Amino acid sequence: MAGKSERDFEQALLRNYDLKSSAMGKVSEALVMTLLVGCGVFSLAITVGIIVLLFSQSIGFFNNAELAIDPWTFLSDNRWSIGQTQGTPRYGILPLVSGTFRITGIAMLISLPIGLICAIYLSEYASPRVRSVLKPTLEILAGIPTVVLGFFAIKFITPYLLQPVGEFKTFNAASAGIAVGILCLPLVTSLAEDALRSVPNALREGAYGLGATRLEVTLKVVVPAALSGIISAFLLALSRAIGETMVVALAAGSTPTFTMDPRQPSQTMTGFIVETFQSESLEPDSIGYYSMYAVAAVLFVFTFTITLIGQLIRMRYQEVYN
Amino acid sequence: MSWSQSVSDVNQPNRNVAQTATPSNQKLETPPEVAIALNSFNAFYGEFQAIYDVNLNLPAKQVTAFIGPSGCGKSTLLKWINRMNDIVPSAHATGVIKVGDLQILDRQTDVVDLRRRIGMVFQKPNPFPKSIFDNVAFGPRLHFQIAKQDLADLVEWSLRKAAVWDEVKDRLNKSALGLSGGQQQRLCIARAIASGPEILLMDEPCSALDPGSTSRVEDLIYELREQYTIVMVTHNMQQASRCSDRTAFFFKGEVIEEGQTKQIFTNPQQQKTEDYVTGKFG
Amino acid sequence: MEKFYTTPRSETNRKAKNRYFSTLCLLVCGLVVLTLITLLTSIFITGGSWLSWEFLFAGHLEDNPEESGIWQAIIGSIAMCVLCALCALPIGIGTAIFLEEFQPRNKILRALHWLVQLNINNLAGVPSIVYGILGVTAFVYMFSYFPSITPNDPPYCEVGAEYRYQLKTLGGDFVNFPCPDKNDKEFRITEPLEAVNSQGSPFVLNVVDTRSQAPKNDPVLLKQTVVKGKRPSAYAVKSFFYFHLPFGKTVLSSGLTLGLVILPIVIIASQEALRAVPASLREAALGMGATKWEAVREVVLPAATPGFMTGAILAMSRAVGEAAPVLAVMGGVLVTTNGLTNLMAKTPVLPVTIYKWAGDENVGFEHLAAAAIIVLLVLLLVMNSIAILIRSRYEKMLG
Repeated sequence: MAGKSERDFEQALLRNYDLKSSAMGKVSEALVMTLLVGCGVFSLAITVGIIVLLFSQSIGFFNNAELAIDPWTFLSDNRWSIGQTQGTPRYGILPLVSGTFRITGIAMLISLPIGLICAIYLSEYASPRVRSVLKPTLEILAGIPTVVLGFFAIKFITPYLLQPVGEFKTFNAASAGIAVGILCLPLVTSLAEDALRSVPNALREGAYGLGATRLEVTLKVVVPAALSGIISAFLLALSRAIGETMVVALAAGSTPTFTMDPRQPSQTMTGFIVETFQSESLEPDSIGYYSMYAVAAVLFVFTFTITLIGQLIRMRYQEVYN
Repeated sequence: MSWSQSVSDVNQPNRNVAQTATPSNQKLETPPEVAIALNSFNAFYGEFQAIYDVNLNLPAKQVTAFIGPSGCGKSTLLKWINRMNDIVPSAHATGVIKVGDLQILDRQTDVVDLRRRIGMVFQKPNPFPKSIFDNVAFGPRLHFQIAKQDLADLVEWSLRKAAVWDEVKDRLNKSALGLSGGQQQRLCIARAIASGPEILLMDEPCSALDPGSTSRVEDLIYELREQYTIVMVTHNMQQASRCSDRTAFFFKGEVIEEGQTKQIFTNPQQQKTEDYVTGKFG
Repeated sequence: MEKFYTTPRSETNRKAKNRYFSTLCLLVCGLVVLTLITLLTSIFITGGSWLSWEFLFAGHLEDNPEESGIWQAIIGSIAMCVLCALCALPIGIGTAIFLEEFQPRNKILRALHWLVQLNINNLAGVPSIVYGILGVTAFVYMFSYFPSITPNDPPYCEVGAEYRYQLKTLGGDFVNFPCPDKNDKEFRITEPLEAVNSQGSPFVLNVVDTRSQAPKNDPVLLKQTVVKGKRPSAYAVKSFFYFHLPFGKTVLSSGLTLGLVILPIVIIASQEALRAVPASLREAALGMGATKWEAVREVVLPAATPGFMTGAILAMSRAVGEAAPVLAVMGGVLVTTNGLTNLMAKTPVLPVTIYKWAGDENVGFEHLAAAAIIVLLVLLLVMNSIAILIRSRYEKMLG
């Protein structure tokens, strides 16, 4: 800036710049906006794609002339014997559904109470030291691939935990259920903790100010205030457990059973799908192929409905406090 | 070329893109009295009316301060002057705001060019997480086709104008987040004037600063009015009396009184104004 | 004044309850920590001693767990991970920008906004095996739109494959020559043509009418001679960009499917990264006359990039551990002869390998599975450490 007077400089500076054209900007702006909307629509297309695909292919299953099966038999018959060679094959999905819910039930019995207690402890009680142990533990658990938990179920839970106390089969519902429970635990904890933490501190202070103990504040003020969030956490965990695949494929066996006994093997809907994919003879347009879509459609209806309800509840409670 | 001509050029459909940037620093032959004119202006957030029927003429090359208790609509009005309220989905307004011949609330008005001409400085210093140089060069790079050396000169000029050059000249390539709050705010002022605006809007520019930095920014504001029309919102009545030429007192969305700062503080015409400036409420 | 007589509840009792509950919580939390320790120890005891360099760098051998290894699976997992990131990141970040940065004013777009947001969270809850089915239908068979791939027919829209014929000459040498028409199944040798011998040097094929006319005395010529009417066998030389439609049961199909699986995770993480960028930065950019997209491109995206990276790595670590969709798309591949030479090849990946080994009747493979799990967990640990490192830097940067 040497040599010129400041005023000269300013005049030179501000007069000589050409404005950029804004027309180009508008075109690229519109282009970008279209692209971004396209991205958003893509994710919708996935959902629509899944729904259309599952249901159109399931129709192929019900329209198969050889089978002559109607949706009602499919949903109510209690035998599933598609892979077996002797006898007429029966296509009743109830054994698979019951297998899924047996395992899910065990998983929920484990993950819901433990998860909720961990969440309450983390949000209301824990000292920084306990937190610094528990939080990473849950994060590591959350990051463990499901196939690893399946391995843990067959190689540890069944032989060392279950078989010493009862007549458990090598593949059984209980070990798979426990492993799925471990899998859902971090999910329940983190979602429930979020819900508990989003309760405003003013509520807690109000209750403490009246002389309530910590337990009373937690159970009578915080948990009721966070209830919808906790329910949504439970629902999301439930949906996760229903859809879990690798643990049940490894640990629950491949026999569809219609029983309440947790010591028996129990093939689930997801387990059946994986098994079908693995068979070498899977051809498009075969009965096995179509039956897989029918099962997947039922599975999808379950998980999608539960997730949707969970999400709607979650959106509701987030609106309340934000 | 006069101020109002340059503004009306913008409205011509086939604007010459290579037109010169507005020479805000040139002495105008007949300086327009009024830089911003508001006529029966009303602003709403959804159903809620934030501003009622404001008629104001803000003079050019002077500092006008908006004072009033919180929630009285002064920040809302400021944000409407460069249409920052477009971001708020529920906000809408009626009436007229004119800058020269430019109808600000007009749908056809090019918001981008408008905001280049009307710079804004915010309550909290908000430098980008970039280098000091890139912060100041941000506006010019958006708006101008400019040679590298010219850009460097422009950055230096802006930083000098904002009285922060001596403190940052050795660290232009360091992150702006390393500066102190006061330096950051002056950097934001430099950033605002680098795209060559005629008007600067300041929304409580000193409320997040310590007293030392505040007085430096106030001095700067006082100097800048030689070249810029400045509108500033403040909570601090001392600040308004220290560095503004004119003051408008807002109360519940209405302008109660507007006049020379000295007059507003020493001899207010309205009872409400007197109560406020003497600290009876607010 | 009226007096209310109340019996106060025992304060000691209430305090004791609080203490009991606190102890119960601590015990339960201890149980959780114990579970994790048991899981890791049991795996380490089963597999630790089987870890070795040979294990890392060898391939799977049927019935021979002692000399089997996971090299191909490691390469496959990494390749798969990169592939799915390449397809999920741009779309995922784009969707996140759409959801966070552009508040639509018109009604249709606003409805779309809401629907997409709800849908993302639902997609995150769709079981991965369902994505597997979608992948099989959409990528492997492409809705059966193209003729399916069989060993006899070359696939549709093939790129990067050179077909050649190979045959054995009377002298016992294997020679090959370019295939004039890959669909001609009745091709027979009728006239001399240029070919390449097994050493790779070119020559002109000598054709004789009958076997008796063979130049028995000249071994060099004999190696270049065939009988007229002989039928050569076709094979394809595939380059690294080999490509065809439909994708078939290949690494590309699996990568794309995994991309769908992690898409919602990428979107949610990217949304969080964008939300962490202070609103004042957007205001500053808009206030200076930047358009919305300029503000996003110049200010918001650079500030959110470390957040995107953290989210991307976390999503990729989910993909690395995912077995079900890969199993559905590619089947339970344990080893391939050529390795991963192009996108249309199959490849084993770590989780599928673990699944197959864990289910193997040969007890040796149980230990191998545990060893492979250790490798997988180490891989995940490394990825997560990088993510945490980036995140802590990022938090410092944004203050």
